[in-house]
Amino acid sequence: MYIGKGRQRQTTIMAFLAPTVLGFLVFSFIPILRSLYLSFTSWDILQPAEWVGLENYRILLGSEEFWRVMRNTAEYIVLYVPLMLIMSLGLASLLNREFRGVGAYKVLFFLPVLTSWVAGSLIWRWILNHKYGLVNILLGYIGIEGPPWLDHRLWAMPGIVLASVWKDVGFFALIFLGALKGINLEYYEAAEIDGASRWAKFRYITLPLVSPTTFFVTITSIINSFQVFAQVQIMTNGGPAGATQVIMERIYKYAFQFFKMGYASALSWVLFAIILVITLVQWHLQKRWVFYDG
Amino acid sequence: MMVKRTCLLRTVLFYITISLVAFFMILPFLWMISTSLKESEAVMVLPIKWIPEKISFKAYKDLFTISTMVPFHRAAFNSLVVSILTTFLNLASASMAAFALAKFDFEARDRVLFAFLATMMVPGAVTMIPNYLVLRTLRLTNTFIGLVLPSIYNAWALFLLRQNILAVPDSYFEAAIIDGATPFAIYRHIVLPLVKPILASLGVLTFMGTWNDYLWPLIMISDPDKMTLTLALGNLNSRWGQRWELLMAGNLISMVPIIIVYAFAQKYFETGISVGGLKC
Amino acid sequence: MSRRRLSLAVVCAVLVVLCTVPALGAQKVTITFGNFSAGSDNEATLAAMKAAFEKANPDIEVKLHSTGYGEYFRLLQTQIAGGTAPDCYELNYENFVAFAAKNALVDLGPLAKTTGVSFSGYDANALDAFKYNGKQFGVPGSYSVVLLFYNKDLFDQAKIPYPNDDWTWNDVIEAGKKIRALGDDIFGIYQPVQFWEFYKTIAQNGGSLFNGDQTKFTVNSPENIEALQYMVDKVIKHNIQPTEAQKSGQGDWDIFAAGKVGMIVTGNWAFTFMKDAAKCRWDVAVEPGNTQKGCHFFSNGYVINESSKKQEAALRWITWLSSSQESSMLRVEAGWETPPVSDESVINAYVAQRPPENRKAVFDSLKYLVTPPVIEQFNEMAAIVDLQLEKAREGEKTPQQALDDAQRELEQKIKL
Repeated sequence: MYIGKGRQRQTTIMAFLAPTVLGFLVFSFIPILRSLYLSFTSWDILQPAEWVGLENYRILLGSEEFWRVMRNTAEYIVLYVPLMLIMSLGLASLLNREFRGVGAYKVLFFLPVLTSWVAGSLIWRWILNHKYGLVNILLGYIGIEGPPWLDHRLWAMPGIVLASVWKDVGFFALIFLGALKGINLEYYEAAEIDGASRWAKFRYITLPLVSPTTFFVTITSIINSFQVFAQVQIMTNGGPAGATQVIMERIYKYAFQFFKMGYASALSWVLFAIILVITLVQWHLQKRWVFYDG
Repeated sequence: MMVKRTCLLRTVLFYITISLVAFFMILPFLWMISTSLKESEAVMVLPIKWIPEKISFKAYKDLFTISTMVPFHRAAFNSLVVSILTTFLNLASASMAAFALAKFDFEARDRVLFAFLATMMVPGAVTMIPNYLVLRTLRLTNTFIGLVLPSIYNAWALFLLRQNILAVPDSYFEAAIIDGATPFAIYRHIVLPLVKPILASLGVLTFMGTWNDYLWPLIMISDPDKMTLTLALGNLNSRWGQRWELLMAGNLISMVPIIIVYAFAQKYFETGISVGGLKC
Repeated sequence: MSRRRLSLAVVCAVLVVLCTVPALGAQKVTITFGNFSAGSDNEATLAAMKAAFEKANPDIEVKLHSTGYGEYFRLLQTQIAGGTAPDCYELNYENFVAFAAKNALVDLGPLAKTTGVSFSGYDANALDAFKYNGKQFGVPGSYSVVLLFYNKDLFDQAKIPYPNDDWTWNDVIEAGKKIRALGDDIFGIYQPVQFWEFYKTIAQNGGSLFNGDQTKFTVNSPENIEALQYMVDKVIKHNIQPTEAQKSGQGDWDIFAAGKVGMIVTGNWAFTFMKDAAKCRWDVAVEPGNTQKGCHFFSNGYVINESSKKQEAALRWITWLSSSQESSMLRVEAGWETPPVSDESVINAYVAQRPPENRKAVFDSLKYLVTPPVIEQFNEMAAIVDLQLEKAREGEKTPQQALDDAQRELEQKIKL
């Protein structure tokens, strides 16, 4: 489009871009460089920064702590992603039809998504209480003695995963619902004529056709899994015995409790590297795995 | 006849299934409400009572009278101010830039777009510490302005808006240009109304994201009078962590405003998520 | 009337006017006071102190910023980094040194002279503790010791004698076993396995976190490993102490008050809570040691923020709060720790309060005091050690492994 001329036009463009460009420089571009620089220094706010080279990264990658954090995150992903995929696709399938009260049901499924993680964590801390918590009481009804969840190093992470699935499933269900609604009904009609069972229709039509969404959701939720914070901070604070320590929680502790800005910055760059690798793998795999509806 | 019966049966089965799922989804909330209406002594009693023997609003009353660092109504007000300011700043800044990047050709455009796109891959953790440090140098920690200011740059909102503005045909503007309308007038009176639905969706998402945010205010705000609701809840938890009825009452109150917003803007919220995907 | 006398009278008159002006004028100073030790139990006591102070000093209004212990230091550090700390606030001794070293605090000596406040009411030793490099950077607010609380009913049921000053770790374990035998949900003892308990327990065994001149960590010394073994054995081997799962998120005070545990190791700041909540007869004793006795000594002081603009008002409040007769008596009556004053009548009133019967154990413990290990990176050190202690408690590592790992990490990350 052509508005204005020469200098005036340039001023116009600059005026429209100014807030964003300024924000980009001050809150994104320069901070990224600064954080990279900080990660090579030891800095605790009070004393001036001192260049330490790769020391932070060396300590970090050689520490028991870092690998514990990676293991914890892996555990989270292995439990969370499949459970969340199944539940959200299932929920989306349930919602993918016309029926009375669909709006009301959607609101119910959405309540957890609307809740803040702080509120959600407090609720789940109570729900997962060993003796008086809802989950163990329900398990008790069917004769199972529930584990001590957040107080036990083996059960704390599954507890956090339960809370996270509950909180996120409505959100991902909505994404899947969008994909389901986009499937051409003719495919199903054709399959019905061939006498395909419900399962066969789901397996051979629905699943392949939502595969781009499945892929997208998987990758996104893996990336999100590396950045879990509030639920850990409030439900377990990283415990017991470090069993739920995760990267963001560590970054927060190092930066704002121990004021080791350099070390925390190094951690954040390791996180960046991980996310970058996942994104690159995503681009690479996308072509092979995903079936696109031509 | 036969067909009709199986159909009915299936409908009933369907409703049972979906209601069961819904029930389990909201069970935590029912449990929260039930707990919040109990008296202290009745909370830790086995076997549990779903409906309190004596309904008590003491927890709600205590919430506003016990000593916490920040009174609850104050925190709610703070959250409201911060969320509105953030939403406004985010939308204004992103839509202006989106307009310029969609409807003006200029030399550096592709490079600018690429730079913005590249930053989208960088996790917030990387910029969090330097952002805190910059705002600290500017003496803006512990102010609403400092809390809100970083949202002036939001690449995700910008791309979403640009995509939508690109789709608007140039013919919409031509008459206005001939009439001598300024670029700002075109932006304000033609572009913005045309992308209203996406603005609304973005707005609702930003509002909720800010309302529920924990980490950023946790770092930025230390003055009790400026704490947001999530911080107030965290504080309540640290000080009265064993009084579950109190925590649950606080939770419930913190959720009410957001549910109201959702009730009014459900449509925008859902399109926001399905169009914008997952970055909120 | 001589000229000199006249001028004296004029000076006096001016002084009187000057002194009354602030009281009369609408200019009321509002100061903020950050604190953690009131917790939820002594909330009302602190409010009463504030009210009494404001009544006596109508020109000052005090705003209380009360936080739970867990959240307090995190918040305070962010406040200091952001330049928004309260005008005056409470600090425990271990953080006092770090904060004073970082120039975050006001030297109270000169300020006291200009304000006309005196430190004469304080116990001299307590006052000295809040000196750094010879300067008075804080005033003591209260002190506390950790004691062995025991449930007389459970001891009677198990037919064992009550703990006395001669007890050692072995006696604890033996008594614990007998009480544990009383019932499936009755436990012998609860002593948290965490950093604070650890540095005291190793002292009871002649160990220490550092070498003599604090230049090297000695966390994995044989004495320390033995001490941790003792702490962990109570949980895993003998199970006279509930595991975290068995405790299921309940507070140790709660289970003691409910009569479910024979002994707990906790501070005299629990007196207020136990007085009302304990459903059993209980008393306290000086904590048992192993090769020697060792008792926690904690001191909380009040300090003034270096960047506060209301330092005089803040000083009047914190000195009143910690050394006035009125405030000390409120503290004593509530059983909220021990006031750091030299006034005999206050001390006698403290000992005379009941429960517990054996209040003088608080003063007996002072003979064996173990003060917190103070270094600049205190919080990080505590976090590193805590994690390994938890691993040992959970049985994931042996005490030897846990302390070896702690030693390695400390050497790597902490500058002494």
